[in-house]
Amino acid sequence: MESTDSLHSARLSAGDDRALAEVFDAVAPAVHTTARRVLGDAAAAQDVVQDVFVDLWCHPERYDETLGSLRTYLVIRARHRAHDVLRSELRRWAREERHGRSVPPPHAPSPGEQVAAAETASAVRDAVRLLPPDQRSVVELAYFGGLSYREVARHLGIPEGTAKSRMRLALARLEALLDRQLLESS
Amino acid sequence: MTADTPLPLPAGLRERVLDASRRARPPGRALPETPDISPVEVFERAADAFAGALSALDDAHWRRPVLRDLDVQGLVGHLIGVEDDVRRALAGDPAVAAADHVASTQPTAVGQSGRAPASTRRDWRRSADRTLALLRDADPDGPVALHGLHLPLGALLVVRAFELWTHENDVRAAVGLPGSVPDPSALRRMSDLAVRLLPVGVARVGTGTSVPVDLHLVLTGPGGGTWDVTFGRPADQGSGGGEGVTIVADTVGFCRLAANRIRPDQLAPFVSGAVAHADRILAGAAALALD
Repeated sequence: MESTDSLHSARLSAGDDRALAEVFDAVAPAVHTTARRVLGDAAAAQDVVQDVFVDLWCHPERYDETLGSLRTYLVIRARHRAHDVLRSELRRWAREERHGRSVPPPHAPSPGEQVAAAETASAVRDAVRLLPPDQRSVVELAYFGGLSYREVARHLGIPEGTAKSRMRLALARLEALLDRQLLESS
Repeated sequence: MTADTPLPLPAGLRERVLDASRRARPPGRALPETPDISPVEVFERAADAFAGALSALDDAHWRRPVLRDLDVQGLVGHLIGVEDDVRRALAGDPAVAAADHVASTQPTAVGQSGRAPASTRRDWRRSADRTLALLRDADPDGPVALHGLHLPLGALLVVRAFELWTHENDVRAAVGLPGSVPDPSALRRMSDLAVRLLPVGVARVGTGTSVPVDLHLVLTGPGGGTWDVTFGRPADQGSGGGEGVTIVADTVGFCRLAANRIRPDQLAPFVSGAVAHADRILAGAAALALD
């Protein structure tokens, strides 16, 4: 048959969970490392790995082999998912700062979850403080102030596109900062 | 550690991810999901597709040689004879239980010579409709004996769908029309039946080994899925412990193989594990000759 990726894709669509195990064994280390370097937090990174592979198993049709290898696809999915988690964490932290209190969790977290959440929040908080001022102001207005890109741009007197590009740079910078923290802690 | 060095995977993550995946989507069923249809529906759709192919023929096409010594009209006559025998089998006529599939229908096949093609086509459609009318109230699990086959009615109807689809494509090839593929729901029923009959086919060619063989079969594309079949061990002794072989093949190709219309090497499967068993298993699939 065709390439290994094409074969794996066809097997996943056919419901062959052995193919999923093979893909996991081949690509999970890269997926996990990507998520860990974006998030810095071990538990959150494992959640991202699970999300990425469950999504592959339930929606194998989303992988388009003409656009790249399965490995690249999964690593990119992990990066995007980790960024989503990062943004979510920024919003949560911002809400807590705005309200001056902790937002009640939807369920009582376990001691392990509390530790993991605290580690993630702390890592993100420290990383935001290290951003250049122009990027930090965009992050703070968007996440702390809950403003849209348009509102951020108006508030800072900059074009909306500039606000977006600063946010992209900020997220990339956050990823690098969190990655460095991970490297230093391991 | 450098930025390019993968981090070690946490213990237990592999099992956690695979378990969560299997809970989210049970293994074995192909995506996109296809609606289940009854064996009667499978047969009816195959009959409609066959009728559609016949309606595209001009008179000259009916004289084209197609199979054995039959032209297209003779082949349709053969299928009229098969419908007659099916109805006799449904009525419990023992004469058709062990009758030869070709010999029993040959008089009807050769009897079409000299008739107007439209008459043959009309007779076949009426014959198929009479069969369908009998099936409406029949028990799909009831045993039927026809042409050496002893199967539940539901399985026999899927075998009949195989026969109509295969001969439809024989006709299409004979007159230069493009081939056809059953819809995914029908194909799923057909591939599932072919896999369940696979031990019969493998027994016909011999397993060639004294050790049990555990086959993991993956049929890709619409109507596919995965199956685990053990050869060389009594059914009540379960599976596992034998020599394992995985075969991955296209669903339509596998059905064509089971209909004995392509050779195993034309299927171009992906094989891993105890690959020495694959040739015999695929030869067993072709030995089913579901045409």
